[in-house]
Amino acid sequence: MNPQLEGIESLPGTYLFDLERSAKALRLNRFLHDFIHPEKRALFKENPEAAFEQAGLTEEERTMVRNLDWRALIRYGASFFTLEKLGRLSGVSNPAMVAHMRGETLEEFLKTRNVPGAR
Amino acid sequence: MARIIGGIGTSHVPTIGLAFDRKKHDDPDWRPLFKGYEPVAAWLADTKPDVLVFFYNDHATTFFFDHYPTFALGVSAWFPTADEGMGVRPVPPIKGHPGLARHMAQSLVNDEFDISVFQELPIDHGCNSPLTMLWPGAVQAGEWPGALVPIEVNVLQHPVPTPLRCYKLGQAVRRAVESYPDDLKVVVVGTGGLSHQMNGERAGFNNTEWDMKFLDLIERDPRALTAMRLADYARLGGTEGAEVIMWLAMRGALSEGVKKIHQNYYLPMTTAMAVALFEEPGAAGAARKAA
Repeated sequence: MNPQLEGIESLPGTYLFDLERSAKALRLNRFLHDFIHPEKRALFKENPEAAFEQAGLTEEERTMVRNLDWRALIRYGASFFTLEKLGRLSGVSNPAMVAHMRGETLEEFLKTRNVPGAR
Repeated sequence: MARIIGGIGTSHVPTIGLAFDRKKHDDPDWRPLFKGYEPVAAWLADTKPDVLVFFYNDHATTFFFDHYPTFALGVSAWFPTADEGMGVRPVPPIKGHPGLARHMAQSLVNDEFDISVFQELPIDHGCNSPLTMLWPGAVQAGEWPGALVPIEVNVLQHPVPTPLRCYKLGQAVRRAVESYPDDLKVVVVGTGGLSHQMNGERAGFNNTEWDMKFLDLIERDPRALTAMRLADYARLGGTEGAEVIMWLAMRGALSEGVKKIHQNYYLPMTTAMAVALFEEPGAAGAARKAA
């Protein structure tokens, strides 16, 4: 256990991105990271199944991406910062991603915010 | 001799850049944010630093987890704007300062800070989101009024450097800057935070009480902050909020007697957006007269 992180396991609903998660989800994170390239974005938009195939994603990984299942993707080991690229590409905002991870609708989540219009 | 005339701590939330690009300056939902940066932009316009040394993190854009540097220093004459998945943000490319940056690389390594270096790699919102608030006239002018020396810090993939290590990096950066022979005015910038969490059911977590305490301690007692562990930062300010250790690098590069002369705090949505301005005693006044 990293002594800097001791006690972090007591935080509920927290999935710290460490080397173990990074190794487990390296292929998935590489697929998501690749959206920095316009041609990879175009391929995903036109033919997501071909993009999955090219990246060699497992069926489990493909299902989570198809469903934009942010909560499952984070639990699996995706980095929020590679997921953010899928969010933008899919037209899903950060508040909507956060609401999904919390198990709330966007409207429910916005009610808990100070300035719901600041999006 | 190069000298540090002040420091800035600032959030680097991407929506800060978006609000700027969408000209939300007078939108009531965003006005408190813009207003909070105005005194900082005015101070920069007044003191005219030659270089901003920018402690920032890349957001799995330019660096990926196949090789994610703990600390990396940008040493080239320019850095393109990164495509983060939505095309390239319409801001001028960042100008580097190869002379100072190469000297800093040498000084840091000889000072046992074995930093890696990069050249002409794209830089993402970690720098450019706050930069348009600090230098708001640059987009219209087509260029930034000064140079940047970017220093990337891994705050994404644990193990990330300790709070104390970040502070010590700042101290080593001060020694590096002050040993550069050319007469340059330098401002150090620490980015990130404040409280937020972007993963799991705890996403959306904020803690204004802790943020206020952090903003106090960063000026008065940074050593209290270096004594804390990363788990403490995650508990108090959220896992992503722990990136405020980059403010400690900024603070480490400032003198003991530095004064915080302005701060602003705004928490509209998921991330607390803060900016704080620190002025070195005497230095900035002299810079103003010379400018």
